Amino acid sequence: MSADELLALGDGAIAALAHGEAEVIIADTRSELTRFAGNEIHQSVAERSRHIRVRLIDGGRTGVGEVRGHDDRAIALAFAAAEDSRRVTSTSDVSPLPAPTPGDRDDPVAFAEATAAATPQERAELVSIITEAAAAHRVNAYGALSATTTTTAIITSAGLRRSATSTQASLVSVARGDDGGGYASRHSADIDALDVADLAAEVVDTCERNQGATAVDPGDYEVVLSPYAVTDLLEHLAWVGFSALAVQEHRSFMRIGEQLMSGSITIRDDARTPDVFPFPFDDEGVSTQPVTLIDRGVCRAVVYDTPTALQDGVTSTGHSMPQPNTWGPLPRHVAMDAGDTPWHEMISSVSRGLYITRFWYVRDVHPLRTVITGMTREGTFLIENGSITRPVKDLRFTQSIIEALAGVVQVSRERRLELGEGESGVLSPWLHIGRFSFTS
Amino acid sequence: MRDLSQRALDAASAAGASYADCRVINRTVQRLTVKNGVVASVELFEDEGIGIRVIAGGAWGFAGVDDLSAESVEETARHAVRIANASSRVNRTPVHLAPAPALVGEYRTPVGRDPFEVSLDDKVGLLMRTDEAMSHLPQIRVRECSLEFVREQRHFASSEGAALDQTIIESGGGLDATATSDDEVQTRSFPNSFGRHQVCSGWEAIEAFDLPGNAGRIAEEAVALLTAAQCPAGRMTVILDATQAALQVHESCGHPTELDRVLGHEAAYAGTSFLTPDLLGTFRYGSEHVTMTADSTRAPGLGTFGWDDEGVAAQRSVLVDQGIFTGYLSSRETAAAIGQVSNGTMRADGWARLPIIRMTNINLEPGTSSLEEMIATTEHGVYLETNRSWSIDDRRLNFQFGTQNGWEIVDGKRTRLVRNPIYSGQTPEFWGSCDAVAGPAEWHMFGVVNCGKGQPPQSMHVGHGAAPCRFRNVRVEPAG
Repeated sequence: MSADELLALGDGAIAALAHGEAEVIIADTRSELTRFAGNEIHQSVAERSRHIRVRLIDGGRTGVGEVRGHDDRAIALAFAAAEDSRRVTSTSDVSPLPAPTPGDRDDPVAFAEATAAATPQERAELVSIITEAAAAHRVNAYGALSATTTTTAIITSAGLRRSATSTQASLVSVARGDDGGGYASRHSADIDALDVADLAAEVVDTCERNQGATAVDPGDYEVVLSPYAVTDLLEHLAWVGFSALAVQEHRSFMRIGEQLMSGSITIRDDARTPDVFPFPFDDEGVSTQPVTLIDRGVCRAVVYDTPTALQDGVTSTGHSMPQPNTWGPLPRHVAMDAGDTPWHEMISSVSRGLYITRFWYVRDVHPLRTVITGMTREGTFLIENGSITRPVKDLRFTQSIIEALAGVVQVSRERRLELGEGESGVLSPWLHIGRFSFTS
Repeated sequence: MRDLSQRALDAASAAGASYADCRVINRTVQRLTVKNGVVASVELFEDEGIGIRVIAGGAWGFAGVDDLSAESVEETARHAVRIANASSRVNRTPVHLAPAPALVGEYRTPVGRDPFEVSLDDKVGLLMRTDEAMSHLPQIRVRECSLEFVREQRHFASSEGAALDQTIIESGGGLDATATSDDEVQTRSFPNSFGRHQVCSGWEAIEAFDLPGNAGRIAEEAVALLTAAQCPAGRMTVILDATQAALQVHESCGHPTELDRVLGHEAAYAGTSFLTPDLLGTFRYGSEHVTMTADSTRAPGLGTFGWDDEGVAAQRSVLVDQGIFTGYLSSRETAAAIGQVSNGTMRADGWARLPIIRMTNINLEPGTSSLEEMIATTEHGVYLETNRSWSIDDRRLNFQFGTQNGWEIVDGKRTRLVRNPIYSGQTPEFWGSCDAVAGPAEWHMFGVVNCGKGQPPQSMHVGHGAAPCRFRNVRVEPAG
């Protein structure tokens, strides 16, 4: 269905509401993905679904019902489930439905017709650019190319009507030789904008340079992190600290007004920038506002949804997840400001250190202190006297993110759009960091 | 369901599929959460759709849809064939499936009391009593407890003649108490961390957890952690409680024995494995105390069923036999690649996802020791309880785990509580240092409800039977 048709479906449901208030979220998704391994396609899949979520508020109680299904009865089922839920919830702390705000616009949205119309054959042809490049260099390529189109509509009895259709194309690849591998990825709203040949060249090049790695001793190293690795740092900061709920519950490292990071670090969330999969509203239908989270190293602000905004007596910044929830708001369009150093010049300024292509299996060890652990993967190189000299075996790191960002030496002027593990867009530069702790 | 599945199989065959199977799934989920004395959410979720998998031109294709009209199902089957044909133009090697009998039957999770027949009011009441039991300590900043119930009706049919109907029922619940001070945050959980403990069982499982009866103790432990000493650092003896042992099994045995990882199918995402086929039958994975099995017949684990998602019967396989690596988790396609037949571990996260190799119930078989005996015979070490963090490399060798709390052991006695413990190691060396596993009396089945794998991502519910176990000369240190 089109966005207008989904809005009409929601309008009909709201019009039939006998009493109380209601919010209806409808999302139609068409997602296809082609996966390859050993230079062949081993999995290729398609999914089409409709997800309906109804929030009912009546008599001071809130209930939620969810249905995935295209059946004509689906929306009625969701309302019935929400009413069953509402009857048993508490009568306190009901978060009200946001009212529409003058000037709300349902754009900009990350959308490209080419992504929405991409066929399995087209995906197979794009994948073959990588597999053929890999085969030509006698290595094997692995990865996935996805194309997703989602139409979302939010309709409430408070008069709010928002809708948007967005697309996302994502290509991730690993190349493996006899004794090492490489990694590269590209993401865009527009599948035609993915520079597949460039990705193929990068992943094969990294793979070929990463053969026969030898061990280096664990310890503290000066590092240059690629945007793939920086994305992990930014995503974990968002999860553990950039939420107003985390601050309210004393779980966040954010101490507003205090300088915790290098003056070269500015981190924003901006759902309107064309660089980070723009999307105009959150899961309450509130327009998402740009928020400067870290301003030249100083903790400046966190993001809000309606419940946390009410708690602090402010207005929502439009970063809500579906309400009600216990995990709070989340920035989903995080970007670190670019610096002015060409990324390859960072390497030339390192006398002895490591270049890290990517991290893997990054987990929070002590969220309040932003301590994380993880492994390097598919491209860890020793830097000596300003040049990459040899590949080294993967290392485990255990490191406080804010301490690492306090020690940033340079930020690159180039940035890349990445997808974090949580599949939110993150715009990341290369970072030159003075000290990073590797434990094994 | 049978009419729909036959329509899908017929449409796939007519479009050129040489093999087809489909799963029609109806899933109902209830999730209830109480946070800080308020019913934070009661979510009721219904989901129904069909997933159709085909081989055409020697390649796989898969398509799923939640519109179960005849026209939609037939078009989805044809789309699966189009996808397979597109892939076949790139591929050189046709898919080959190991033989499997085409089975017909029904299976239903045995339950004492169907959790969906328990009223929502009763469920909320239990959570409110649990919350109340944590509310007496001012240092507890966040109290959260939850219940989840799942009923999944699955119909599987294949062009080879299989027709299988299953109803799987899960019940889960848990609580978290988070204490804060000016410079510390500590969380304790029960019966397991990350939200809840879940099993294929009925309401009786929830009653056995006794959340209200344990809530006060757990809250007190969270507060005590705020001022506990930091975990000591060094190489020492480590005793894992059964929940942490279960996660250790999950990460360092379950994943590396997945044969699709071994064959490179997950190389770009989840990773590969150090357990390559040349090691099968000879590699010393652990000490003689270490035997691990995959057992989808072992109730009440979350990997318990009648048949997997390509129609292979539930079964028990030995993965590690007294320390020697002996087996994989396999599918019809991957088993054929190493000259075997499937041992039935293909599972999909609902109708919209392609079945891939997943853990069933991966168990550390019980030994002959006991927690009391292990502590009594430890000169210096730590007893670690309840996972807090976990990370392992893409070949499943280099790991680091953190737990919510630890107890220092000195001269055979559990002494002081310690906070922020982490331990690390290499998988074969770690399991090779295992010198004791507790016996059947302390062996329990646990559930992991957030096992991620695959692209697009799939989240699977898997089971792990485990008991407390002891390891020598392990690197231990405080986090943060």
